[in-house]
Amino acid sequence: MGESNDDIDQMFSTLLGEMDLLTQSLGVDTLPPPDPKPPTAEFNYSVGFKDLNESLNALEDQDLDALMADLVADISEAEQRTIQAQKESSQRHQDSAAAEVSNYSGAASLGYGANVAATGFSQYEDNLPPPSADPVLDLPPPPPPPEPLSQEEREAQAKADKIKLALEKLKEAKVKKLVVKVHMNDNSTKSLMVDERQLARDVLDNLFEKTHCDCNVDWCLYEIYPELQIERLFEDHENVVEVLSDWTRDTENKVLFLEKEEKYAVFKNPQNFYLDNKGKKESKDSNDKMNAKNKESLLEESFCGTSIIVPELEGALYLKEDGKKSWKRRYFLLRASGIYYVPKGKTKTSRDLACFIQFENVNIYYGIHCKMKYKAPTDYCFVLKHPQIQKESQYIKYLCCDDARTLNQWVMGIRIAKYGKTLYDNYQRAVARAGLASRWTNLGTVNPATPDQPSTVPSGLKTGTAQPNGQIPQSAPSVKIVLEEAQRNVETTK
Amino acid sequence: MAGMKTATGDYIDSSWELRVFVGEEDPEAESVTLRVTGESHIGGVLLKIVEEINRKQDWSDHAIWWEQKRRWLLQTHWTLDKYGILADARLFFGPQHRPVILRLPNRRALRLHASFSKPLFQTVAAICRLLSIRHPEELSLLRAPEKKEKKKKEKGLEEEVFDLTKVVLAGGVAPTLFRGMPAHFSDSEQTEACYRMLSRPQPPPDPLLLQRLPRPSSLSDKTQLHGRWLDSSRCLMQQGISAGDTLWLRFKYYSFFDLDPKADPVRLTQLYEQARWDLLLEEIDCTEEEMMVFAALQYHINKLSQSGEVGELPSADQGLDDLDAALSNLEVKLEGSAPTDVLDSLTTIPELKDYLRIFRPRKLTLKGYRQHWVVFKETTLSYYKSQDEAPGDPIQQLNLKGCEVVPDVNVSGQKFCIKLLVPSPEGMSEIYLRCQDEQQYAHWMAGCRLASKGRTMADSSYASEVQAILAFLSLQRAGGGGSGNQPQGSDASAEGLNPYGLVAPRFQRKFKAKQLTPRILEAHQNVAQLSLTEALLRFIQAWQSLPDFGISYVLVRFKGSRRDEILGIANNRLIRIDLAVGDVVKTWRFSNMRQWNVNWDIQQVAIEFDEHINVAFSCVSASCRIVHEYIGGYIFLSTRERARGEELDEDLFLQLTGGHEAF
Repeated sequence: MGESNDDIDQMFSTLLGEMDLLTQSLGVDTLPPPDPKPPTAEFNYSVGFKDLNESLNALEDQDLDALMADLVADISEAEQRTIQAQKESSQRHQDSAAAEVSNYSGAASLGYGANVAATGFSQYEDNLPPPSADPVLDLPPPPPPPEPLSQEEREAQAKADKIKLALEKLKEAKVKKLVVKVHMNDNSTKSLMVDERQLARDVLDNLFEKTHCDCNVDWCLYEIYPELQIERLFEDHENVVEVLSDWTRDTENKVLFLEKEEKYAVFKNPQNFYLDNKGKKESKDSNDKMNAKNKESLLEESFCGTSIIVPELEGALYLKEDGKKSWKRRYFLLRASGIYYVPKGKTKTSRDLACFIQFENVNIYYGIHCKMKYKAPTDYCFVLKHPQIQKESQYIKYLCCDDARTLNQWVMGIRIAKYGKTLYDNYQRAVARAGLASRWTNLGTVNPATPDQPSTVPSGLKTGTAQPNGQIPQSAPSVKIVLEEAQRNVETTK
Repeated sequence: MAGMKTATGDYIDSSWELRVFVGEEDPEAESVTLRVTGESHIGGVLLKIVEEINRKQDWSDHAIWWEQKRRWLLQTHWTLDKYGILADARLFFGPQHRPVILRLPNRRALRLHASFSKPLFQTVAAICRLLSIRHPEELSLLRAPEKKEKKKKEKGLEEEVFDLTKVVLAGGVAPTLFRGMPAHFSDSEQTEACYRMLSRPQPPPDPLLLQRLPRPSSLSDKTQLHGRWLDSSRCLMQQGISAGDTLWLRFKYYSFFDLDPKADPVRLTQLYEQARWDLLLEEIDCTEEEMMVFAALQYHINKLSQSGEVGELPSADQGLDDLDAALSNLEVKLEGSAPTDVLDSLTTIPELKDYLRIFRPRKLTLKGYRQHWVVFKETTLSYYKSQDEAPGDPIQQLNLKGCEVVPDVNVSGQKFCIKLLVPSPEGMSEIYLRCQDEQQYAHWMAGCRLASKGRTMADSSYASEVQAILAFLSLQRAGGGGSGNQPQGSDASAEGLNPYGLVAPRFQRKFKAKQLTPRILEAHQNVAQLSLTEALLRFIQAWQSLPDFGISYVLVRFKGSRRDEILGIANNRLIRIDLAVGDVVKTWRFSNMRQWNVNWDIQQVAIEFDEHINVAFSCVSASCRIVHEYIGGYIFLSTRERARGEELDEDLFLQLTGGHEAF
């Protein structure tokens, strides 16, 4: 059992190694859209990846074709086996759950099985069910029919199922896939296949598998635009392929995999964003001491109501004037509906405010070295632009804050206004993922001789202090919980 | 025993005569005189009164009200001595439930029986049960503002008052549903109409009326309302309310627990109405952009509720929509021949081709609109010099995904323009399309809007989008068209409705109707696909997202300060606000609060927060009882838990909000 898992792992890494080689030999970071204008036509890779190869700029010869075909065959085989393994492991788990699995290798392999389940399962869902004679089995479990169906109905049902299956296949055939080169901390790169249905969360999970990092919540995908000198992190719910499709063919843009504590700073220290009394000293002192319970209630209040609360944020910022190099100081206010400013000679009451920008069509980026490039007053700049804009343009808005703290407050505030509750959901998923990972490693380190002894507090609680709903159980992690959580993860990522 | 006399007519026992008026507080009322002793129980007295009146009637709701002490004698086992009643007591034997006229959050009037003897908290709970509003603890009653002299006699139009006085609610369990409404509403046509009034949003108000209604012009005006809240711990009778009076029912605490569209149709609707009126009467301020969204949502909600569509739209996501369409398509194919061209049928997407005039604004351009052959397929717009050149390369091709679509329409001027701001790697390119007529405009506009969201005209919402645009154009023709600089008032509501009824009056002054309509239309495109409940929820959420949401203002004077300031009370904090400028001076959160005390003698509220921060103030615009009740009420609401469901801990509420004034 453990062996078979190892095998699969081995197989995956070799596969990916080969793909690395492949892409490196091609010398492209990503497989960019051949031409942004006819967007779908050339993205429609067939199941067999034949078109993918064609889209590798026809540089390739027959060898590459063959290689890719092999790869694909291997991958699907591996997936089949993963699914098998997962089924077995859950089977075994059920058998042995009552007996409180304590055996070291058993526990580890089970935990691993759960992990495989998390990823393998979603792949299974995503991928083509084998075109077997019995399509019903391969579909996601259909609800049991409430009443026995008549013969005709059953036939109709079967037919509908077949049609559905056929349609799914057709859809599958149109799934867009990209090979993405991700830059790691240590200047190495990893290439992975990302299909158009995958969210940044899925890609992160994928990378966790490959890198064996600590999986904490700060890990993120990060895009940098060297030309515009801007960068931002991917939100976990963003569709990666969609974002990358906006890049131009000759782009220097890169995707990084790194830790950014800004990513979920608001959930770790909500008081810095929600209770900041415009820089008055007294509040700062007391804020640092806010206890976990108060943080929790503050988050609950801000993110769990009928509507979320956007931090109250206002103050003077510098705005780069359209197309010019001069910066103008204006008084800006953040509201759920957008950023506003106070027009000359007016007050900051709601009725007088003028809308500066709304968030539907823009993403928020950090500006890098704006002082040098644009003669900004400080280097604490943030940038708002439509995701499709890739070159300098008057439609890109540059704003400059007095200090880093203000910058972080604005960027986080805008993200909250733009994404709302999704941000919190993302965070909770990330915490669950981090907890899962740490518990898994814990399972590995628990002394096999004293399995009943509650292990030391899982390191997941390090992040768990800010975890609002106390989902992380305080007791020793049991295999069952891990497995259940993995399963839940699979469900929620769907 | 009582009433035994000597020959001279003196009573030999300790009995005495007690006079009890029958009916409500009316000195002219008939009265009965009883012989009682100090040991008589209230129950016995009641019995005697009924015997004395000697009339067949259901007296079960009647009880004795002691006018001087302003209290009900409800403990039937108490003796007169225990209550301290002597012969000079003015007692009234009247019904505990009396009719009142309730002005609901949607401004409609409703007559019903309310308890005049129970604490207001229970009375409100009973009213809410009757109206099927869950979580009555969030609502309360206000005195109606004093009417200024009846100078508006000319108004004349009789307002419809709904009547629920005859409805009897079975006690015990939650009311069951019958024909889509709580069973007690389905008795008669009148009550069914009443339920519709409660559970469906009202049409927009007449803009002229809107202009006439009083609006707060300053923060201190906003404090006026909150002086009128009734006391939750005392009964209506004790608070000087008499039968037939008008009271306002409003959501008092802005902390809406477990809002569930399925279980709360009335609550959701009334909440929407309260939010809408708050915005229209400028009780809460918002920006222009926000107002347009609110207006668009109101328009949309009104349209849906007028069309009688109450149920949910099939809310399948777009992906499934496509799939379903394709599925039926495919099914047809499979019936017939071999599915060779299935792929074709799946990828056939309706397209638009026509001659349109195109304008590309550039710096230093003198060119105007030029005729072009335009092809709109999937999400891509291509244009050519003429139809003949269409197979070749287009002059330009634009993918509209993610673009901004702005209408520029003037119906009376026959101008139907679509302004597109299309993103590309180099920036945004602007392009204007000019259509010939409404039909053409509606089709192209709908296509552009879908394309900007990445959807094609194959999307199931395309047809409805076209219809929505046409409907809105007719609205503009009816509303702001022609010469009228003045709002046409109710005349204009013949066809569509007046956009002035959807926005606060200050926008009536700022915009002409024909300027307003396209702005609302623009905002409408983002909400056009919502179902009724989704739209209501969206409205409430947008309202809750306003920075000033849920703040109740009270004029106070802080200890040690020499001028009045505003205290804002929200569900999680207290805010000290400068009266003149409106700036927030200081915020204290309830989560840091240790305790609060009220000194009833000097009418001062004192609050202690963590780290020995003490705050004390006296109340100017409202009694400190109201402030005290607000704070206690919010603390109470924060203790609610989902697990407990709808059970109410009334004792806790009264403990937290109850005054220490003697009854």
